[in-house]
Amino acid sequence: MTAVLGFDVSFRMNRRYRSVVRGIDDVGELAVFFGRALASTGKAARDYRAETMRVLAEISLGTGALAAVGGSIVVLGFLTLFAGATVAVQGFDSLGNIGVDALTGFLAAYVNVRVVAPITAGVGLAATIGAGTTAQLGAMRISEEIDALEVMAIRSVPYLVGTRVLAGMIAVLPLYSLSLITSFLASRIATVVVLGQSGGVYDHYFSTFLVPSDVVWSFLQVFVMAAAVMLIHTYYGYTATGGPAGVGTATGRAVRLSLITVVMVTLMISLALYGNSRSVHLAG
Amino acid sequence: MTQLLRNTAHATIKATSAVGEFYGLSLDTAAALGRRDFQWREFVDQSWFIARVSLLPTILMSIPFTVLVVFTLNSLLSELGASDLSGAGAGLGAVTQIGPLVTVLVVAGAAATAIAADLGSRTIREEVAAMEVLGIDPIHRLVVPRVVACTMIATLLNGAVCTIGLVGGFFFSVYLQDVTPGAYVSGITLLVGLPELVLSEIKAALFGLLAALIACYRGLSVVGGPRSVGEAVNETVVFSFVALFLVNLTLTSVGLALSDR
Repeated sequence: MTAVLGFDVSFRMNRRYRSVVRGIDDVGELAVFFGRALASTGKAARDYRAETMRVLAEISLGTGALAAVGGSIVVLGFLTLFAGATVAVQGFDSLGNIGVDALTGFLAAYVNVRVVAPITAGVGLAATIGAGTTAQLGAMRISEEIDALEVMAIRSVPYLVGTRVLAGMIAVLPLYSLSLITSFLASRIATVVVLGQSGGVYDHYFSTFLVPSDVVWSFLQVFVMAAAVMLIHTYYGYTATGGPAGVGTATGRAVRLSLITVVMVTLMISLALYGNSRSVHLAG
Repeated sequence: MTQLLRNTAHATIKATSAVGEFYGLSLDTAAALGRRDFQWREFVDQSWFIARVSLLPTILMSIPFTVLVVFTLNSLLSELGASDLSGAGAGLGAVTQIGPLVTVLVVAGAAATAIAADLGSRTIREEVAAMEVLGIDPIHRLVVPRVVACTMIATLLNGAVCTIGLVGGFFFSVYLQDVTPGAYVSGITLLVGLPELVLSEIKAALFGLLAALIACYRGLSVVGGPRSVGEAVNETVVFSFVALFLVNLTLTSVGLALSDR
């Protein structure tokens, strides 16, 4: 066979085959790591409670230049503020085009809760907490601090990864509550104060169509997102190679994958929850 | 108390001088753009590189994003008895918001991080300092081609996202949500026309420009050891997201105010 195809062709086929195998290998490795990391959150909660609390404080307030601008809380608040205001501005104009700009309050209650606030919060999480975690763990890996932990007989996955995944999942609940409130406030201020709709009309449609169960489900969305984002970012940080440049590349890769995951999680959960059910009753 | 005051003052001075340096870099870039010997080779390399790292995430993000928005809008429109307008909704969503927004996220998340990681590691290996010693201006040689490439690719990616949005919305609405194909197609241009498309492309170009400038600034201002490159990439993502969401709100308001005239 090799003789017929010649060295070059078989070499190229071999290389292609190997890259496919490596792709499958990577997926498996990711899955094994996710399983180990999730399983280790229990140990982190039991044995490394102090470390979990420390990481929790660190990630919700951020480190370095991030802490100077107020940490993840402020960044997430800013992102949802702009997103909520954009919904109102765009919605007011577009609904005005078909003569129903009174429904802007409805749009704010509906779109913010179901799509905009969860996605914005997920993106914000990936950028602040996630990327920071990859950078931190990556730096630990390449300066051989993780190997040092292993030498001291501290199991690195529960101590470093489990605590961070757990902390991310805890931190997201207050962070998302704040984001949701900010996006509601931004939509209201943009519609009522800036665009001049009467407050009563806005509040009427907003509170009529704000479905409490939607809000609860959106918390579930964000909770799943936070777990996925933390798993992805700890994986890329934990397995970083290739010096300082490698840490930077790993951070970029992790952000890319988690952005895709955030949108996918939102889509899957929305389709599963809202599917064909009629949860909005405009016509009564 | 005095300690707290001193810390606050210190942080303020640091933040202010960072903003100043960023403006300085932007102005230097603008000035270097006018110089004659534009680095075509570096520009083509960078464009190819940015397109390569961004294309797959763009496609993978814009399909679910479109389905999500079209799904949310359709369940609303069918409630109003106006499923025929789903084309209008998809067009509006895809061109005015999803296009620029997905472009932002991908350009900032994929391209800008790669630029910051690349320039950051060159800075701590003192390659940039070596260039300066050789009398080569790093802004002209490294920053300008990256900024121009990123701006161009962002514009092109925006076109791709809008197309994916409209086509994906068509398949989702027609085959899964029983909207009439003719009604979908004729609805697309109801709310969205040339001005909206131009605005969307301007948004994307500005996003690309800003993300690249922030990435180059953070990449070139790295100091210290291995930890710093990762932190620079992290800050690049955060700052470009914040800047881009702000720009999106501003441009949306300006664009709507202009198109009403």
